[in-house]
Amino acid sequence: MKSVFIAYDQAYQEKILFTLDHFNCRGFSMFPQIQGRGSKTGEPHYGSHAWPSMCSAILTIVRDEQVDPLLEELHRIDKETERLGLRAFVWNVEKTI
Amino acid sequence: MSLYEGSVKRPIMTALIFVAIVVFGVFSATKLPIDLYPKMEPNIIMVMTSYSGASASDIENNVTRPLESTLNSVANLKHITSRSAENMSLITLEFEYGHDIDDLTNDVRDKLNMITSALPDAVSTPIILKFDSDMMPIMILSVQADQSTNGLYKILDDNVANPLARIPGVGSVSIGGAAEREIYVYCDPVKLEAYNLSIEAISQIISAENMNIPGGSFDIGNETFPLRVEGEFNDPKEMENIVVASMGGSDIYLRDVAEVVDTIQERGQMTFTNGVRGATIVVQKQSGANSVEISNKVLEMLPKLQENLPSDVKIGLVANTSENIENSISGLAETVLYALLFVVLVVFLFLGRWRATFVIAITIPISLVASFIYLAVTDGSLNMISLACLSIAIGMVVDDAIVVLENVTTHIERGSDPKQAAIHATNEVAISVVASTLTMIAVFFPMTLAGGMMGMMFKQLGWMMCVILTVSTVSALTLTPMLCSQMLRLKKKHSRFYTIFFTPIQRVLDGLDAWYGRMIDKAVRHRKTVLTACVLICVAFFFTFKYVGVEFFPSSDDSRMTVKMYMPVGTRTERTHAIAKELADKWMKDFKDEARVVNYTVGQASEDNTFASMQDNGTHIGSFNITLVDPDERERTLFEISELIRADLNSYPEIEKYTVSAGGNSGMGGQSSIDFEIYGYDFDATDKVARDLRAELLKLDGVSEVRISRSDYQPEIQVDFDREKLARHGLNVSTAATYLRNRINGSTASFYREDGDEHYIKVRYAPEYRTSIEDIENILIYGANGAAVRIKDVGTVVERFSPPSIERKDRERINTVKAIINAGVPMGDIVTASNKIIKNMDIPLGINVNLAGDFEDQQESFGDLGVLGILIIMLVFIVLAAQFESFTDPFIIITAVPLSIAGVILALALTGTSLNVMSLMGCIMLFGIVVKNGIVLIDYTKLCRERGMSAIQSAITAGRSRLRPVLMTTLTTILGMVPMAVDQGEGSEMWRPLGVSVIGGLTVSTILTLVLVPVLYCMFTGVGIKRKRRKHRRQLALDAHWAEHKHTMIKSKK
Repeated sequence: MKSVFIAYDQAYQEKILFTLDHFNCRGFSMFPQIQGRGSKTGEPHYGSHAWPSMCSAILTIVRDEQVDPLLEELHRIDKETERLGLRAFVWNVEKTI
Repeated sequence: MSLYEGSVKRPIMTALIFVAIVVFGVFSATKLPIDLYPKMEPNIIMVMTSYSGASASDIENNVTRPLESTLNSVANLKHITSRSAENMSLITLEFEYGHDIDDLTNDVRDKLNMITSALPDAVSTPIILKFDSDMMPIMILSVQADQSTNGLYKILDDNVANPLARIPGVGSVSIGGAAEREIYVYCDPVKLEAYNLSIEAISQIISAENMNIPGGSFDIGNETFPLRVEGEFNDPKEMENIVVASMGGSDIYLRDVAEVVDTIQERGQMTFTNGVRGATIVVQKQSGANSVEISNKVLEMLPKLQENLPSDVKIGLVANTSENIENSISGLAETVLYALLFVVLVVFLFLGRWRATFVIAITIPISLVASFIYLAVTDGSLNMISLACLSIAIGMVVDDAIVVLENVTTHIERGSDPKQAAIHATNEVAISVVASTLTMIAVFFPMTLAGGMMGMMFKQLGWMMCVILTVSTVSALTLTPMLCSQMLRLKKKHSRFYTIFFTPIQRVLDGLDAWYGRMIDKAVRHRKTVLTACVLICVAFFFTFKYVGVEFFPSSDDSRMTVKMYMPVGTRTERTHAIAKELADKWMKDFKDEARVVNYTVGQASEDNTFASMQDNGTHIGSFNITLVDPDERERTLFEISELIRADLNSYPEIEKYTVSAGGNSGMGGQSSIDFEIYGYDFDATDKVARDLRAELLKLDGVSEVRISRSDYQPEIQVDFDREKLARHGLNVSTAATYLRNRINGSTASFYREDGDEHYIKVRYAPEYRTSIEDIENILIYGANGAAVRIKDVGTVVERFSPPSIERKDRERINTVKAIINAGVPMGDIVTASNKIIKNMDIPLGINVNLAGDFEDQQESFGDLGVLGILIIMLVFIVLAAQFESFTDPFIIITAVPLSIAGVILALALTGTSLNVMSLMGCIMLFGIVVKNGIVLIDYTKLCRERGMSAIQSAITAGRSRLRPVLMTTLTTILGMVPMAVDQGEGSEMWRPLGVSVIGGLTVSTILTLVLVPVLYCMFTGVGIKRKRRKHRRQLALDAHWAEHKHTMIKSKK
């Protein structure tokens, strides 16, 4: 089991959900309306006057073999429209109940 | 879920809500009545009191004064004027606008109740009349009849007036100029005397003979029969065979002493239309009825009525106010359509995509149509104000939609899905869209609160603009994102048409952006020079003000003119008629291409003609109605022609005075005038001042006519009875006077009935026996014992002058000199010149000369507008300061206001338009419009600063990126106004100044703000940065000082 944390510009919302469905990743937790900025070129998403856009994030726990196709697809989406911003990070899941 | 998110996610609901608005709007529009102006609450109440037998000064002292002092305490009273004439006092109360006339009437009635008991016994109860603009005639028809003159009244009454009066909404239909049938019994006084008969006796006999009397009923066998005696005459000639006396055994018939003449009234009005004798028919509407609808029905009915008339009687149209209304309205409707076209074109050129253009253009009909719902709900009408409002609004309603669409496009271009882009992009700009709408509402809402005449005029405009702008904002925040999400796509490939057509446009716009960027770059680095240059340009523009004239209201050419000429009092109708005919013939020849109808009426109106008796009439007065062809079909304007007519009138020495009223027959927009009110008790002194002033004023250029309100002393023949002698014959003044009246005016014996109509039978002396003073002296009157005595034995017949009526204003005697000003001549110039004249005149002590009339209204309205302007600027500042959370930013934005005023002045000077209420109105509207550009620029500059750019860099970036939206919204507003400013149709004179001032002000202020706002921003930010640095330096110095001396200041731990 791996956990995938996807942080993205709000505008991606529907595409991300569609992708998760597509890869049969049923369970996830979502954080709508969060702020953040990218490490290199990513524009700030503060919901403020200067930076009005906002991010959302999804934390989904998937089986190990699901991780790679999911990340590949996410990477493809990000490449398509780079200016919006989409990142995903993977952790190990130590224990569950 | 936010508003925009909801609307994007539920496109069907959103679309249908707006469809519903449009359906309701269109439905309301079909129900709206059409009128020239919004309904204005009348503000005048008249109190009429009669006191028979009292002279003008008696009336003034015993009736008018006490009434005035009481009525003066009624609330909201503006002016109280009165006219005391013989037998009658007429007090006119003018109230401040905007109060319920019914409440005011009740107040007036209460006050009158308090005073009535204190008035002399013989004074009648005062009558309260409300004056209403609805009393103005809506149509004047002319009737030409060569042969049917004698029966004309009856023909018209039966076949035209009565059917017309049955049309719903028609108030009254009066026939003027057609004399009514009357039957005269012309007696020969010599024969009467010989047979010992009197007018009264004959009158009694005729009345007794002309009777139908029921005799009860009686039974014959099984049946009951009513018994009747039918004594009424079947033919006037039957009267000649009445036996009036017996003398020496032989009967004396009426034909022996008198002649029975079946004819028309001796004194009546005569009307001529284009040289042919006829009549006029005046149609008035009921209060609140729709003039256009009524006059259309009347016009529809006329051909049918014409069929029933004798072949020589022809009905024509002299004046139709609804024609003017319809022309003005359709002219404005055309303006609205042109504005729509221009706006759509601008949007299309800038965006280059028809889908985006559609998204924006759709907000125009929706928000405009929504205002019809407001009008229908508040009982409004389609009028010049509401249509002009639509025309003004067109350019503004797209602004919000443009801002939203522009941001959505940016998001889509960044790669968002259109649906997401629509929601988030709208979210980003929602606040600034609402704020810019609030600034506009800050401009238009105070208009609804304005007082005075301006308030009446612009209340509707203010509310309508508020409704339209609110709807347009709501639509921009719901419908626009929804449509964007459905219709906009990321353009990955352009069509060939786009490439051919729009590549050059794009290149020009890109070039413009780059050029503007470079210019700003230079400007912000030479801040002081730019600022000085702007101030200098502004000041230079302000100096052109001396070429701008000032007037109150633009005069509008409605192709109608009324002329009244006054011969010396007492001139016979025949003489007046001769002159009137000469003039009419001359005008018909001189203006044969321009005049459509020349109609004139001379003579005294009978008492039962409602419309004519309300107006000034008499044997010495001739009144003309001249209708010209439409303004675009003739070379000369109404005002030029009216000048020529005045010159003609001047060339007749017999004509004592005249009035020529050109234009503005429907309430407003006539030639403007200045009233000089001369207050003073002494008649002779005030008369002299008035005459001197008149002579001086006539010398001024631009004054076309001067009228003095006080009429001349009127010559009359009076009989002074000797009461002692009268008493000796058992007579008193009133019985003696009645005898006189019966002989000259005639005694109404009875009525002759024919075909359901009643005609007076009047017994009087034959005309040849009442032509000289001797005839009057020889009149026989009969004492109580039946003995006859001649007038000259009981009194003397003398010729006297009766004093004119006494006019008062605000409880002081007044004589008004009214100067009519030529169209196009600024009133301000004449006021300055006349003030000089008054200063040089030798005015006796106790006499005051005040300026009033249109000038007073102008001062008041300009004052109101000034207060409104200040209020609006303050409100706009508050809205801006709240939005930007700063005092400097709104200040920078508001610098656009003086720039726009400079632009207005320049535009007025260049086009030769004068400063009047309408151009001031445009100026006030500008306060809201011009700050929009500043808002857009400053908002983006601040954004750039917050993103970490330097002040100068922010100003340049913001300028480059916001140039297109600024140009686009400005161009839509300017082009929306262009049709209004260049329109030449009927009624366009009203709106041209407004259009010109908005275009001028907006153009100048946009060009200057595009340079000045970045410069000012940099200056203020520079000062701010320096202040911060200084503060920081001081803080550093303080910290250093602290670090150095810390040990001496802090007690060390022991």
